[in-house]
Amino acid sequence: MAQQRANLWNAEDLEDDVDLSLAIGNYGQNGHYEDAHMQQPQIDESTLIAMQQHMAQQAAFAQIPDVVKGFIVHFHQAVLNNNLAEITVAYESGWNKYTEKFYAKTEWPEAEIIAPLVNEDPIFLILYRELYYRHVYSRLQPNIDDRFHSYENSCELFNYLLNSDGPVQLELPEQWLWDIIDEFIYQYQNFCSWRSKVKSKTDDEILMLADGGPVWSSYSVLNVLYSLMQKSRINEYIAAQREGKSAEEIGEIVGEYGQRPLYRMLGYFSIIGLLRVHVLLGDFTLALKVMENVELNQKSPFTRVTACHVTTYYYVGFCYIMLRRYPDAIRTFVTILNFIMRMRQYHTRSYQYDQISKTADRMYALFAVCNALSPTRLDDNIANIAKERYGEQYAKMARGGPEALPAFEELFLYACPKFISANAPPYDDPAALSALLTPSSPSDSPSEAASAQTDATHRHLELFLADVAAQAPVPTLRSFLKLYTSLDAKKLANFLDADEEEMVQELMVMKQASRSLSRVPGTEGNLLEGQVITTSDLNFVINENMVHIAESTVGRRYAGWFIKNTERTQKIFDDLRNTPLPVPKASGPGGSHASSGGEQQQQHQQQKGPRTGGQKVAWGGVKVA
Amino acid sequence: MTSTSSWISPSTRTELIEDLVSGVDRYNPSNVGILEDYLYHQIRSEEYDCLANLAILKLYQFNPDLYNPDVVINILIKALTASPLPDFNLCISLLDERPVNATLDEPDPLPSILPILKDLHNLLYRCRFPAFWEIYHSEQLEALRDNYTVECVGFENAVRAVVIRAVQATFTRISSERLASYLDLTGADLNSYVQNLGWTVDSSTSVVSVPPNPDNQIESTVVQETIALPQLTKVISHAALKA
Repeated sequence: MAQQRANLWNAEDLEDDVDLSLAIGNYGQNGHYEDAHMQQPQIDESTLIAMQQHMAQQAAFAQIPDVVKGFIVHFHQAVLNNNLAEITVAYESGWNKYTEKFYAKTEWPEAEIIAPLVNEDPIFLILYRELYYRHVYSRLQPNIDDRFHSYENSCELFNYLLNSDGPVQLELPEQWLWDIIDEFIYQYQNFCSWRSKVKSKTDDEILMLADGGPVWSSYSVLNVLYSLMQKSRINEYIAAQREGKSAEEIGEIVGEYGQRPLYRMLGYFSIIGLLRVHVLLGDFTLALKVMENVELNQKSPFTRVTACHVTTYYYVGFCYIMLRRYPDAIRTFVTILNFIMRMRQYHTRSYQYDQISKTADRMYALFAVCNALSPTRLDDNIANIAKERYGEQYAKMARGGPEALPAFEELFLYACPKFISANAPPYDDPAALSALLTPSSPSDSPSEAASAQTDATHRHLELFLADVAAQAPVPTLRSFLKLYTSLDAKKLANFLDADEEEMVQELMVMKQASRSLSRVPGTEGNLLEGQVITTSDLNFVINENMVHIAESTVGRRYAGWFIKNTERTQKIFDDLRNTPLPVPKASGPGGSHASSGGEQQQQHQQQKGPRTGGQKVAWGGVKVA
Repeated sequence: MTSTSSWISPSTRTELIEDLVSGVDRYNPSNVGILEDYLYHQIRSEEYDCLANLAILKLYQFNPDLYNPDVVINILIKALTASPLPDFNLCISLLDERPVNATLDEPDPLPSILPILKDLHNLLYRCRFPAFWEIYHSEQLEALRDNYTVECVGFENAVRAVVIRAVQATFTRISSERLASYLDLTGADLNSYVQNLGWTVDSSTSVVSVPPNPDNQIESTVVQETIALPQLTKVISHAALKA
């Protein structure tokens, strides 16, 4: 690791974290914390407290239901044995089952309490805490200790993975590995937005945040993700795969870490994690740049984790919106929304289905936004669903005019990522902090003051809405131009009740809006790459003061319909032919062979043909001949 | 501009900068000087490298201590003339809210200049060229002109390049008067500018002809469907099975 990290200038960050864990410990353990405050110097008292704690722990241990104890022991055993199948069962079903049954509204037992069950196995306890805190974040309200501790635990986990002697032998299901990265970033984002709300902090919290150091700092989060990528040499792995290198060659290239599925998957998930972190921080180009080696397609083995696959497309699509590349955004959303639709039957059973369908819903909203800005007929099916869900907003957005902006704003705020500010409010500077808390002018309502998280979101919203507002005259102009093949600019201005010069300038905007950068379909590689394409079927040009208009129309399409129906007919035909005719006595011999391959079955039927009655001979005979 | 390759990696970018833009070293605060020097080089020599400038803003975002308002303003001025590309917005996206900074020696000029730059960008993006020039030359913007844009070599010509991109996509012929108001040029200046572009002026009507390009050629077309062989695979293979 030392070698690898030497070129990462802030390598000490990660080490700081380790040191810091001691400092955090002082905050975190309630016993110590109380001590300091209550000023109880007598040793006796503290021994007493320690004893009481011990007894409390024992009592807590006694309260754990036996099935849960059994589950934890079993889970631990599965992890020790690297038994992926059993780990998966425990992780995906056992944990959720007992959460519902016993811990729907309270924390799981703390790691210290269950430690005797797992021989104090430090690695399992780290993994257990990973689940423990995730449960706290998703079901309960994490307090500041939880936030600091979950950070500390993540650091311990990543230190173990990255800084052990060589690659660790641990194996975990892919889904869990994704969840680890996903949760790490979620907690970072959650911490940043919680931190930015200055008003609701208690004095103790302000004190802790002032001393927080690298806890959930952007640098430490990026450091983990980059370290995992470098350790696993995931970019080299993807490149070697693309070049079709042999397994041995790839093994050589990726080294002892990259050969292990655990590191390879973590490396890949870290790329997606970086994509997400950069978007949250408002860096849309860098977000796409870290993806430069990743091929966006459905064939890659990395798509096995559906949640990761969906996340990838959501953030890539969103980047394209902020880069004003609406056709690319549309294509991205259409691809993944179709994928989700096809996969629906499988992942309704997954515990992540809720999350995926929420993301899908936001992507339908973003699709509607893009489609209003850059109408397309790429996929009528997706377009119809989007219009069904956001019909009202879509109508307003597509019509333009004064009602459009609020509709754009509504859908953007609903569907955008939860943006964060990279830096904390000045918790370490009491003067600046109190300046922040007092509204700068009396007109500022207190609710508006100092919420950096909303500020970040609103900064992006404002930029987006300015783009949208610039395009506002386009739908109206378009509806007029559609009626003519040529038209005097003055006349058009009269229709619109507008100043002629201004309208000509709006026509330039319209022209501009009908061009966009777009990735060339079928090419792979850098997501930032693209060429200018025409996005509108209505084209025009101004010759001095005369506007000439030309429209591209799409001829009626027959082929798709015929192909679809031919295939359908063929299927009906096959089904019919494979159905045994009703035979009065004894079931037809064909029935018992129903499970064999299609071709075989056909031969079977053909042989059988002449023996069966009347009508069948007609086509059976043709085939035999 | 028809493709992004020169935007992703301008030919003028040196290897050193390329390493900073594409590697993890972009996060190293001690490299900010190199990137800032590169920015000032761009300003002096009419070059432009958006991604390198975004890397500066990224460092400022993560290390508020590095923040240098003059650099930010210069980056925004360069990004302004990339319109209609989203560069200006991409830069703004990285400008996190910052508490009023007491550590600077002088008052921070950015809060007063930022709204002006946003307005200018808005006018350019919305092709309100005459209004852009009017405001740009106004008295309120004297500070911006005297302290910043005057240092940025070729700034006004870069704005004109934005105008030309919009005009040549939209017009086949345009009156000199209109073009003059867009370019903020008159008389001999206008004539020589137009000639440099290779455009021609009709001396009797003083109408400028814009040479044909992919965007100002229009044609009504009917897009006919094309059927690719793979679409028919199922049908054909089914037929083959029977044979």
